[in-house]
Amino acid sequence: MVLVLALGDLHIPHRAADLPPKFKSMLVPGKIQHIICTGNLCIKEVQDYLKTLCPDLHITIGEYDEETRYPETKTLTIGQFKLGLCHGHQVIPWGDLDSLAMLQRQLDVDILVTGHTHQFTAYKHEGGVVINPGSATGAYSSITYDVNPSFVLMDIDGLRVVVYVYELIDGEVKVDKIDFKKTATTTHSAH
Amino acid sequence: MLKGKKLNLPDRLGSLLAGFEDKDGDSGGSGSALDLGEELEIIQPNRFRSGRESESDDEDGEVQEEAMVKRKLEVDEELEHHGRQPRHQKDGSDHISVVKTIEDDEKRSDIEYEISQKMINVGKLQRIVGTGLPDGGNLRPTVWKLLLGYLPPSRDLWEKELIENRQKYAKLKEELLLTPSELARIKEEALHSNEHNNADSGTDGPLIRHEISHEDHPLSLGKASVWHQYFEHIDIAEQIDRDLQRTHPEMKFFSGESSFSRRHRESMRNILLLFSKLNPAIRYVQGMNEVLAPIYYVFSTDTDVQNASNAEADSFACFVLLLSDSVDHFCEQLDNSSVGILFTLSRLAELLKANDEELWRHLEFTTKASLMEYYAFRWITLLLTQEFNLQSILRIWDSLLSNPFGVQEMLLRVCCAMLLCAKSRLLSGDFAANLRLLQHYPDIDIEHLLKVAQDISPDTSSFCLTL
Repeated sequence: MVLVLALGDLHIPHRAADLPPKFKSMLVPGKIQHIICTGNLCIKEVQDYLKTLCPDLHITIGEYDEETRYPETKTLTIGQFKLGLCHGHQVIPWGDLDSLAMLQRQLDVDILVTGHTHQFTAYKHEGGVVINPGSATGAYSSITYDVNPSFVLMDIDGLRVVVYVYELIDGEVKVDKIDFKKTATTTHSAH
Repeated sequence: MLKGKKLNLPDRLGSLLAGFEDKDGDSGGSGSALDLGEELEIIQPNRFRSGRESESDDEDGEVQEEAMVKRKLEVDEELEHHGRQPRHQKDGSDHISVVKTIEDDEKRSDIEYEISQKMINVGKLQRIVGTGLPDGGNLRPTVWKLLLGYLPPSRDLWEKELIENRQKYAKLKEELLLTPSELARIKEEALHSNEHNNADSGTDGPLIRHEISHEDHPLSLGKASVWHQYFEHIDIAEQIDRDLQRTHPEMKFFSGESSFSRRHRESMRNILLLFSKLNPAIRYVQGMNEVLAPIYYVFSTDTDVQNASNAEADSFACFVLLLSDSVDHFCEQLDNSSVGILFTLSRLAELLKANDEELWRHLEFTTKASLMEYYAFRWITLLLTQEFNLQSILRIWDSLLSNPFGVQEMLLRVCCAMLLCAKSRLLSGDFAANLRLLQHYPDIDIEHLLKVAQDISPDTSSFCLTL
């Protein structure tokens, strides 16, 4: 049972001051084993804060990040799953499923986590999953001002992953659950 | 042959008395000149036991047993002031080992006879086991289970009890020890098996979101949430793991990285975790792993395969039974109450005072502090598991478990005996030296120690042992 926190696009301090207090109260150290962050933190203080939640922290670079030494993409293996991480501003059109699927094939991962659109999405595509955790602070994006704060917690347990989606709607935290089972014989079809 | 010799004598006590006088006249070397047949003439502490066993075959052996024990006591007084090594050691160790094997055989057959009865006479068993269980013959697991009350005295009920208890344990494990994700998986598989088949038929597209309640997610802070409870116990689980790594590091059974020892540590971990979940008032206290270790060791080295494979379930039940009267010692809030550890320590002090006022006064006043808390705390809460090696612990626990007045009572007597046996060194030592001595109790002949303990009587008015 491995808990992986996926979040990003906080845009602290430029577009938001901090995580919503209801989110902050839930994020306590000791429960989460890994954190993957899509990018656009933007300052080092946010990285330090995330490091206190969990020592195993992975970040990819977003276009507004002040720390320039994060990588563009990252892959890691947790349990039976291969996870890929990328901010997403590099993939054009932004948020387009087919283009993201290309990136997923390129990185050869089961779960691809990207951000930049500040909208939560979760798609099943060709045997893999593409997840966008949205913006954890609800910061406005290049596309829209209407953004609900959201982040994602994945519970990886053998061949099964349960994705818990935390969204702040009208001041209340709403939690949804998504199940995904990896079939053992998944192969990416070549185009 | 031995028994034949005994029965010929008209007056058993008389013969032993005669034998005693013989011994005084003996020099050390004459032991080897005797052959097996004449052993009984020589009075040595072990001899009394074998004499006692041949008595126990008679149904009315009670009275004679008492008399023999008294005789033994008087002899022992003489022997004690010769220090830790009983006198018979001078006669040659191979002589002793042969004698001991014969005793062990006799004792083993006695015990086997007792436990093969339909209705076991627990009192009788207690008396025999009080002198220690022989190492061979795989008696310890069954006898300990009987003495702790895990197995009922009626042999017919054993099968039923064992099956019931083992099932209960398996159920408890299922309820309390699964991680929340496993629980969620089982629940979900039960409910959504149909839906799942459809979803898996490869349809791409947005994934369906299911709403869940506020208790059901990993970051939930609600008290009733499975997740919250799970994380609360993570700390305890880590502590248990750390302690298990340190349990008996010299033994391959417990320590090391072999799958064998890992399995054992895993089982012990389950037991301790389950205990902590079922007893939220005490949870887990460092040291419980030490108390569990002998029990688990004895049960898993049972030569009966079925028993050994169920050692975890049996150990759990026996661990609970064993701790049931001393569990209050672990609870910090109860320290100062009438059931807490401090009261028990004061009882130990009283016992020492009643049996040896000089030593008590020395420890209490000359060395100022109440030393008891520094060393006896560990002795009592951990049932002496930290003071001796495993073999000695098993022997001591034979006596503790077979005491008809309960484990605690005998434990206090053994602790008092430990103090008495170290008397000369304690009297000549200052605070620091005494503390060092008592915290690293020196090697001692266990049989001698237990004999001294047997002789201690909690009643202050009568039997006072002076050394």
